[in-house]
Amino acid sequence: MTMGEPMVRKEASADREAADRRWTLLALGAGWLVPGLGHILLARVQRGLLFGAIIWSSFTLGLAHDGRLALRDTRQPFLTSLQVIANLGVGPADVVARMALYGVPAYRLKLNQAGQTGDRAGEVFRERARSGVAIYGTAYLWTAGLMNLLLLFDIWDIGRRKKA
Amino acid sequence: MKSHLLQMMLYSTLVSTFFAVLMRRTRRGQVRLGAILWLAMVGGALAMAYLMFPFPR
Repeated sequence: MTMGEPMVRKEASADREAADRRWTLLALGAGWLVPGLGHILLARVQRGLLFGAIIWSSFTLGLAHDGRLALRDTRQPFLTSLQVIANLGVGPADVVARMALYGVPAYRLKLNQAGQTGDRAGEVFRERARSGVAIYGTAYLWTAGLMNLLLLFDIWDIGRRKKA
Repeated sequence: MKSHLLQMMLYSTLVSTFFAVLMRRTRRGQVRLGAILWLAMVGGALAMAYLMFPFPR
């Protein structure tokens, strides 16, 4: 063994670690953009497909059950912000759903001076509350987003080799 | 679907499957944890419902 060999091995190990870190970050981004894809990129295809199926099912059930895509309300800023974050967990699908439902990617409840909803998003949001199944739909939507956020931690653990 | 019971069972199935696969690696462990979670959610809700039955609003 020559004197330079341990140094070369150390550099190769550092390069591999940097590449792993980049790939993990890519998987994290992909996992947020498309639920399930992050695991697939880390060669956990079966898990990725199953997680994807669960999250997409929950999201679809939420929309089918008149789920309310949260709007930040200045009268209850903390709770409604948490609801928006839960919705955003599913990634761009949330934006697409908002555009389909509200016509615009609305995230804020606009109120007029009388304290009533002042735009289409607010009207649809209020209207959906009247549906008998909206509470279930909203729970499905929040659950889909929160499950996907949890999956990001799993992707990180797998990528950093803390988990099989 | 307007049945509260079926909604609860469907929701519990999704959530318990998710956590079972997330937290256990072996098939046996996943089935076991999934069953425990599902029974805890559905059974717990039904038990609470029966406990509240004598106290209507």
